Amino acid sequence: MSYYDIDAILTDAQKVPCTFEITIPGLGYLEGNSNIDIKQGTRVELPLWLAEMLGVSQRLGTEQNVISLDLPPALAPRVQNALKANPCTVDLRSLASHYYSLGERILGLLEEDELVDILSETFKKRAAEIADHAHNPQGVISSGGEFLKGLDENERQLFKTAHESAKAIRAFLSDRSSGKK
Amino acid sequence: MNNNNHSASGPLTPAEVAFLCEAQSVTIIPRQRLDGLDLIGGYIPPFHPPQRTTIPLWLALLLKRQRRCNIVPPPWLSAPNIERILKTETENQNLFCPDLPYRWLETAELLLEGCPDDLGGDDGELRVLLRGLREVRQGKVREGLGKLEATYLQMNNLGLLEITEVRGFAKGVVDGLRKIGASTGVGLVLGWMMMISRWGWCFISMVFWTG
Amino acid sequence: MDIDDLLQELDDNKVLGGTRDINDLTQSWIAERTAPEILPFQTALLERLMERIRQQIELVETQTGNLDPKTNFCLILLQTELERVKFLVRGYLRARIHKIDKYSIYILTTPSIRGRLSPPELSYLKSHLGLLNSHFLASFLRRFPEQLRRLDDKAGGISMVEEPDLDGAVFCKVVRDIEDNIARIPGTDSEFKLTKGDVYVVRYSAVREFVLRGEIELI
Repeated sequence: MSYYDIDAILTDAQKVPCTFEITIPGLGYLEGNSNIDIKQGTRVELPLWLAEMLGVSQRLGTEQNVISLDLPPALAPRVQNALKANPCTVDLRSLASHYYSLGERILGLLEEDELVDILSETFKKRAAEIADHAHNPQGVISSGGEFLKGLDENERQLFKTAHESAKAIRAFLSDRSSGKK
Repeated sequence: MNNNNHSASGPLTPAEVAFLCEAQSVTIIPRQRLDGLDLIGGYIPPFHPPQRTTIPLWLALLLKRQRRCNIVPPPWLSAPNIERILKTETENQNLFCPDLPYRWLETAELLLEGCPDDLGGDDGELRVLLRGLREVRQGKVREGLGKLEATYLQMNNLGLLEITEVRGFAKGVVDGLRKIGASTGVGLVLGWMMMISRWGWCFISMVFWTG
Repeated sequence: MDIDDLLQELDDNKVLGGTRDINDLTQSWIAERTAPEILPFQTALLERLMERIRQQIELVETQTGNLDPKTNFCLILLQTELERVKFLVRGYLRARIHKIDKYSIYILTTPSIRGRLSPPELSYLKSHLGLLNSHFLASFLRRFPEQLRRLDDKAGGISMVEEPDLDGAVFCKVVRDIEDNIARIPGTDSEFKLTKGDVYVVRYSAVREFVLRGEIELI
């Protein structure tokens, strides 16, 4: 991932639920209260960058994992089912602003075989829908407002690209036929 | 002309695609004599009207603007031919007609704009047919985009301007699918073992320092 | 007729050098705009074209005083073409500069890629990095602790050095018959056969070797 890329940085900031497997002195402030220590079994929401680092024990050189990670609510089984049933009606943005990036990172941390397929299918189907909206010169088709508001960052870029190239071609062709130079 | 005619990066703009198509050769009927020209792109032999000769399209359009020549439309740009191709395209949902040249759309546009009177009298009909052709093909491209995969897609016989229209979107979808699929590859597991996020160093060193 | 078709039909020795050079420059420009990485600099081609451009400019200058309207008109045609060729050259160079700016440290520290730059481009790269570094230092880097001032830190798995994404999708066309004509997609088991005339949307890394050899063209 690019070091300076804003979207990569924002993805890193998204939260993941973690459970501390051991007690660690001094990190109590992560829980938000004034306890000095974090007790084993505590559940905290940590940002991805920290969760990744603590979650891979080989990295820290400890024998067992310091924390274990769970699926963030955005990728919970309930959501997965909704995506399988009707991908275009799910408001991805409210679940996570960088939904697919979050998914990619989680897939690298957890075993979730079905999730790859669900995310790929979702992406494809929503992309087709995005293409339809983007090519409409009047702007947004009336029913499309909800859908477009629910696009994650990745999909927004896609929409923007599609819309702008359609616009550029239209401008080029209409410049010609109206005789402008 | 609008401001973003050309850029330093990213895919070619429609204006740049049109620039490229101006390099192709067309036949003209000169109306005035002209000496031979030693251009960087090659030698243009002298004009002896009304003898036909072949020159680059950009030059033909320039001369036409000055009424120094008439342009002979390329054989594929006639109403009957476009009508025939339109029929083929409509009847075959799965392919793009190979008879249509690579730069058909932009070439047709430039000729319709630059020399409508040379197009055999049916330029109005041509415009309608070309628009229809474009719409049919656009529909097929849209369908093809729905089948994009993370690996590869074959799209023979698509025109350059048509490609330009979908290039950004197609790239976005293919790249997006690739990234989703890549996260479970073996290579990634090895990568994870060595990974510390960009803020990791600072945090760890701070923890050790305060701890 | 499409200039590509024209050249495919005619034999090499029948095509005039000038036409072929323009065609090659055009293709090089398209390739630089499309490819994620910077490609080898077309030294010989640019040299020939710059020489021709110089000749034409000289010709125009010497002939400009001439009052004969016929010559005058010919000069206009010459100048128009001159502008077209200069646009192509500029486009080519600008596309490369954009990539040099973007991947400065990576190019500088990778000898095989650094070798793709022309000498003026290399000195541009060094000045650009120098300027960037001083700017960062003066703006904020000076106030960081010593060990955090690097711009090329690769420790810990995330590299600060931005590298081109060679897996990005590109549109390409197979322009020659290829002997070993199977393209493999790195990181997967997918492969496909390359036949002359095919057009593909595929990740750049799968066709990179073919592009560098001229067997596949980016479009």
